Amino acid sequence: MLRQGDRFDPDAARRPLLVFEDVHKAYRADSPVLRGLNLTIERGEFVFFTGPSGAGKSTLLRLLYAAESADSGRILFMGRDVARLRPESVPYLRRNIGIVFQDFKLIDNWTVWQNIALPLEVLGVAHRLVRQRIGEVLERVGLGGRGADVAGNLSGGEQQRVAVARAIVCEPALILADEPTGNLDPQLAVDILGLFEDINETGITVLFATHDRSLLDVRPHRVVVLDDGKAMDAPNGLGDSELVSLQVA
Amino acid sequence: MTPLERAWRGGRSDWRLHVLSIFSVAVAFVCMAAALLVVVNVESLRDAWARSGRASVYLKPGASHEAAAEIEQALRATPKVKTVRFVSSEASRTEVLADRSDAVLSALPSEAFPASIEVSLEDDVSQVRVRQIADSLSALPAVESVETYQSWTERLGSLLGAGATASALLAAVVLAAVVSVVASTIRLTLQRRRIEVEVLKLVGATDQYVRRPFIIEGAVQGAVGSLLAVLLVGALFLIVQGRFAAELGTLIGVTPRFLPWQVAVAMVASGGLLGAIAAHASLRNLLSV
Repeated sequence: MLRQGDRFDPDAARRPLLVFEDVHKAYRADSPVLRGLNLTIERGEFVFFTGPSGAGKSTLLRLLYAAESADSGRILFMGRDVARLRPESVPYLRRNIGIVFQDFKLIDNWTVWQNIALPLEVLGVAHRLVRQRIGEVLERVGLGGRGADVAGNLSGGEQQRVAVARAIVCEPALILADEPTGNLDPQLAVDILGLFEDINETGITVLFATHDRSLLDVRPHRVVVLDDGKAMDAPNGLGDSELVSLQVA
Repeated sequence: MTPLERAWRGGRSDWRLHVLSIFSVAVAFVCMAAALLVVVNVESLRDAWARSGRASVYLKPGASHEAAAEIEQALRATPKVKTVRFVSSEASRTEVLADRSDAVLSALPSEAFPASIEVSLEDDVSQVRVRQIADSLSALPAVESVETYQSWTERLGSLLGAGATASALLAAVVLAAVVSVVASTIRLTLQRRRIEVEVLKLVGATDQYVRRPFIIEGAVQGAVGSLLAVLLVGALFLIVQGRFAAELGTLIGVTPRFLPWQVAVAMVASGGLLGAIAAHASLRNLLSV
């Protein structure tokens, strides 16, 4: 729904969801994490971000949800430059993004239901709708009927499913998954990857950061390899011999 | 979920911490309430004595009954004088020794209990007029001295001033204590709920949304702590009053009274406000994710 003052732009739906333009980021001057990254991600894509530890996978995601700011360049999310958002606008950006972490970031002494309800509470969604929505997402992540369980008592795989449910409960345009399988055994990791693919099937764009090469071989998705501040793009997965440099010369 | 519900949820999970904080706040406010109680009662004592308009005219040991009668008569004719009563030396001794079997007091010579004329004045009589009457009486040859109790009123006035200053200083200490206790508790609570705050920020909560329940918790700690203090001091006051009210009434002429309800309400409100301010201040710069 258009809010008062918004202008209807018929081209907005055809624009890429995410555009990185010459993005630089360095924590220390002598070792930049990102050096002039250019990258375009379309709506509905599933993209793996991979690379060794410290390559900048998490930094890239943190730049997206404005936990950090780029030194230079533009990051356009739905046409808005994230790097230039005022602090008071950041919460509204994050309401369009679901984030899943390696350490789940669940509130252990709360129930599954309470954990998943948190984003809806922030949005002020009516209690009846909250109940309905949580019921739906619990079914979707395979935890139907487990809403009353205390989150801290669940297994690692189940906790990650709760985290995924919390990320998708508001139907965001983008899911950022930062090493979501890092704490899980290989079989569970594949299960969780499948869950993200199911979510992607519904049209939500998924950016999946992982250093686990075995996951990249499971299914052919676009892979962006980050290393030494540079990025290479494999549009059809690492099985494809054509790696496209994303680095500005 | 409303901020109140969220504050209740958070408060329940950290109830031990909150109880400790409330206890500390209550201790600080007990000191303040006790000081205010003293000030209130000294003030009422001063007012009562200032309004009492009493004077005792002590007669010289050799003063004749005629001289005393003349003074009595002159006083009755003086404007603003309500009653005049002659108390002989024997009557004075009897009054002092009544209900007492004190050997030392009984052994005192009759000079220790001089004859006097007790004068009571109209309520609206000014201190200047009392002074004038006293000066006129002091000049009479049969009069030894005149006690108007004005010096006591003045002493009580300066005591009241000192009490008010001490209370103001104590209020500053209480303010610092409450701010420090509540701020520390809220910081600790925030640390314990670090994940909750982090997740809230990541799912798009504004700083205001995150802060609200913490501020409510701080306000509740301050208000409940100060309310407990008022109740505790009230209970102690009732115990003391029940045991010593009669004696105090006889001794100083006024019945002790508790803090006016406006002061008690103001204390609770200021406790809540201080708690909220302390919580708000402690959350600054701590919500960055």
